[in-house]
Amino acid sequence: MKTFVVDLKKCVGCHNCQVACKDEHCGNDWMPYAKPQPDTGQFWLKLEQEERGQIPQVRVSYMAKMCQQCSNASCMAACPNGAIIRREDGLIWIDPAKCQGCRKCVAACPYDCIFFNDELNLAQKCTGCAHLLDRGWPISEPRCVNNCHVGALQFGEEEDLDLEGAVKLHTEYGTQPNVWYKNLPKKFVAGTVYDPTKNEVVIGAICTLDGPAGNFVEETDHFGDFWFNDLPDGEFTLTIRSAGKIKEMPVSTMDKDIGLGDIPLT
Amino acid sequence: MSDEKQVTEPCKAPEETNFRGIACGGFGGEISAIDSKDGKIIRIRPLEYTTKYTMDELKDSLWEITAHGKTLKCPTKAAPPYHAMAYKKRVYSKNRVLYPLKRVDWEPGGDPAKINAQNRGKSKFKRISWDEAIKIIESEINRMYDTYGPNSILCLGENGHKESKMLHAGGGIHMQLLGHLKGYTREVRTPDSVEGFYWGAKHVWGTGATFGLGFAAPPPMNQAWGVVQDITKYTDLLIFQACDLETTQNYSGQHMSQIMRYWLDIGKKFVVIDPFCNYTVACHDEMKWIPILPNTDAAFDYAIMYVWMTEGLYDRDYVKTHTVGFEKVRAYALGEEDGIPKTPEWASEICGVKPWTIRALAREWGRQRTSIAHFSAGHNRGPYSHEIGRTEAYKLAMQGLGKPGVQQLHLGCLGPAKQAMQVPGGPSSAPLMINQFRQYVPMEQDIPRTRIARAILDKDITWWGSPQIVYVNAADQFVEHHYPAPPEKNGTEVHMLWSEKPCNQCCWNNGFKFQDAMRDPSVEFFVSNHQWLENDSLFCDLVLPVTTCLEENDVVGSSQNVNVDVACIQKKSCEPRGESMSDFQIGCRIGKDFGVEEGINLGMNEEEWFRYAFDISQINDEVSYEELKEKGFYVPKLAPDWDSERYPGMRAFYEDPIANPLDTPTGKIQFYAVELEEHFPGDKERAGIARWVAGGPESEGWTHDETLQGERAKKYPLLMCANTSHWRLHAQCDDITWFREVDTCKIRGKDGYQYEPCWIHPDDAAARGIEYGDIVKVENERGTILCAAYVTERVMPQSIMVSKGAHSDPIAPHLDRGGSVNLISPDAPISSKCHGFVVSGYLVECSKVEDAEMEQWKKDYPDAFARKYDPDTGQTYETWVEE
Repeated sequence: MKTFVVDLKKCVGCHNCQVACKDEHCGNDWMPYAKPQPDTGQFWLKLEQEERGQIPQVRVSYMAKMCQQCSNASCMAACPNGAIIRREDGLIWIDPAKCQGCRKCVAACPYDCIFFNDELNLAQKCTGCAHLLDRGWPISEPRCVNNCHVGALQFGEEEDLDLEGAVKLHTEYGTQPNVWYKNLPKKFVAGTVYDPTKNEVVIGAICTLDGPAGNFVEETDHFGDFWFNDLPDGEFTLTIRSAGKIKEMPVSTMDKDIGLGDIPLT
Repeated sequence: MSDEKQVTEPCKAPEETNFRGIACGGFGGEISAIDSKDGKIIRIRPLEYTTKYTMDELKDSLWEITAHGKTLKCPTKAAPPYHAMAYKKRVYSKNRVLYPLKRVDWEPGGDPAKINAQNRGKSKFKRISWDEAIKIIESEINRMYDTYGPNSILCLGENGHKESKMLHAGGGIHMQLLGHLKGYTREVRTPDSVEGFYWGAKHVWGTGATFGLGFAAPPPMNQAWGVVQDITKYTDLLIFQACDLETTQNYSGQHMSQIMRYWLDIGKKFVVIDPFCNYTVACHDEMKWIPILPNTDAAFDYAIMYVWMTEGLYDRDYVKTHTVGFEKVRAYALGEEDGIPKTPEWASEICGVKPWTIRALAREWGRQRTSIAHFSAGHNRGPYSHEIGRTEAYKLAMQGLGKPGVQQLHLGCLGPAKQAMQVPGGPSSAPLMINQFRQYVPMEQDIPRTRIARAILDKDITWWGSPQIVYVNAADQFVEHHYPAPPEKNGTEVHMLWSEKPCNQCCWNNGFKFQDAMRDPSVEFFVSNHQWLENDSLFCDLVLPVTTCLEENDVVGSSQNVNVDVACIQKKSCEPRGESMSDFQIGCRIGKDFGVEEGINLGMNEEEWFRYAFDISQINDEVSYEELKEKGFYVPKLAPDWDSERYPGMRAFYEDPIANPLDTPTGKIQFYAVELEEHFPGDKERAGIARWVAGGPESEGWTHDETLQGERAKKYPLLMCANTSHWRLHAQCDDITWFREVDTCKIRGKDGYQYEPCWIHPDDAAARGIEYGDIVKVENERGTILCAAYVTERVMPQSIMVSKGAHSDPIAPHLDRGGSVNLISPDAPISSKCHGFVVSGYLVECSKVEDAEMEQWKKDYPDAFARKYDPDTGQTYETWVEE
């Protein structure tokens, strides 16, 4: 079965994947595989962006999102016309010749990856660039993958892909998605510890994060910075210790990542 | 039946492929493969070298770098940027100029009543024939020469819609043509991307890259080879101070994304010092961001040096043997000169970086092998940028510039390996660029690009130096120039403008002043050649339609900041849109009427040009012309010494400064440049050493008062950070519909208009009652632009970020809806004797546009709001052309 692997750590947010999808499918008719994608407003592949933290501890995560090629595809179940099928290679495909425009699949997709083309009265989504895969020229992989310069997007037979540490999105939806994601962001707590009596950063301060969700330890680096990465959502007590000084404060990762800025240790 | 099959299965229809670089404003660029079918472009994708050559054939062309146990191999697939991959949208843009256009209320002949200069940027255009357009141009050229003299036509050019073109590139064709007639006044491209280095660092370490840019590059070749490799092997810490390689490098390719990932994987540390959490630091979790207030880097740098001086964290021996004048800089830093030690606490008040962070960085820097990466981002574009250029050079000098791992990585040295080819743009670009090179040739009368508006409005300007951006030494900056030129040089006021780069108002300083100049009645005729109906073209009387690079045959390869140089000969991928012609063809056509066509095309047709270029190229012993043409591209072999460690970057000077002197007066790095004080005694803005120069009131002799400590900050309390847009190159690509639907590119206001984002910190937004998506006005005394608020943690409080280069959309004089931030940048030069531009680091205020105010504008300027507008594209051909 063919599928995608998306590695968020490698992604630099350039949007080449999203541009590639538009370039291949907007204004180009690939019948019998696909009719054109509207020029704007719909994204068979969308690069989602999330700004995290507070100045100066800020990061931006980018995540390419496209049809999740589900094994238990709710769109297939919702289609009354048998227009949505699973190809032999595993890709889920909406047959433009059979789609009657009832929109039921659009509502059925929990990942919001099916779009309705009003002009053509057609449900549309990522085709995996099946027209390219099948004909084999000028490239034989999806355009988004071909356009990625940093290896953040891979496509191939599932058994050939490096899936170490990869997970799937929202398995709780129950549709058994088949697209894999690596390095999905978890919460962080970060700050810079300094000694206000000397105007110096505190190097080597022991920082602990304790709460029902777990206990974590970090040490401040040469910039006085500590970064707790890959944290679960939870309520924590942050304790900073150095040379007999202790500072405690509550932090919560329930809603967002936490950049605490500069923290005086007195 | 076969026809029917063709119709029902378009996916099977054959396609044709061409190869070329598409770098909107430069040379080459990583190579794209352009597939087309039935004369229409289907897709643009990265070229894979292995589609035409075996790995065995490529083995001598692709580099490998190994360090710290990991190897980076040159990819076999090119890495063209998203601008190139979306270029189909530029070719087929709704904004394309399809036919010659004439402004409806302008007539040739110079009658003030028929010029209606005041309506430029307001009145619309109508289509005319090429014959009529050429007749107008020719009659106006003759009228100018007859009425005002040989230098009355000002040619604006270079660095505009270059699109990697070679033979067909604009920027100097008009100059070449008029040079064969009676003459012209040349617009001088004042240094951009390198301002602070050009005007400052050149007095520290000499002319630098390309004999003039002011980036570190040693004589005698003034090129910095092997810096990427030197950093790979020896550097521990990379400082990005005004450097966003995930944005600025993307004008030509994204290979630096690949190299930066490799550098992180082998353990290099990165610190990014920028008012904006730029696209490089934002996406790499391993990098550290130090936010800094715009244009305060000189104070920050002095605090770093203060720590080094007081804690012994610099290379004393190097300073002794390789530099002169250090004692003066030390005296200023330690407060011996003015009683103010430049401590981290002192700097923190100015730059907003906490003193403990400055100290920590100074120590990390002083204890490790550290290089600075720099590429055309904010900090060298503010008032007094020569000071920042010099303090950057001072920092590198104190750490032993040229020693293994201590280099300046700049736009002149991002190529990982040296190839045999070593010429920009293609197998042999130099002869093909003969017309463009015209813009480097000083004429009887020149005007710096930064001073065009003043020259037209004030009729009299004085400046020093800057005859061009490259091939010009530091001493040139002491030469005084005037406009109009003296009578013996046929000095005269200019009355006609011809632009092959109609984006001055968006790319250069104080665009509103430029608009004022275009509306001055002394400008009797303004013509532009351009592909798209935008920016300065809206202020023209005649606009000539130009082909994009994909509509032309040319000889264009990759070069200038790519993984590997590639030579290409390509056919056009589609027919010219409308009646467009290339700048070269336009020049030849007009030249033919004047009998000087051969002065432009040298009597050769396209094929003869390409053949000639190949014959004198450096690859003609590696591949035949026929094979190159048949395959479309060729990857030249690496130079035999491509990985030589002998002299990367500034190493030769480091190893023996006597045998390998710099081209400064002393041959050494000059902390103190006595010649500046000799030529400009009493210049407190650019003195013999760099200082923190805050400026002040004009009445006290200052050129700028653009700091938060100054009087003007009471009314305009935010510092503008006009970083390069992720989505544009200069003013190009603002019409790409696929970019404009990303919110970092445009934000849809509640009135349906796609506004340019104004990035503002939540604290500053809250203080002004601004929420995400609100329409806001960004303004100062120079005018008002409208944007939409992008409330974000990614920008320093007391600073806002509006990327330069959005299309202007004039509502009224000094009021613009397009969010083109350079419209409100200062008119004044970098400092009194340095007439470069200031386009970042200046004061503004940002406030919410209330409904009543917008309604009032709609009442006051109904025509502007009634123009057709397509949110997906922005302004279109239909916006400005009458049926």
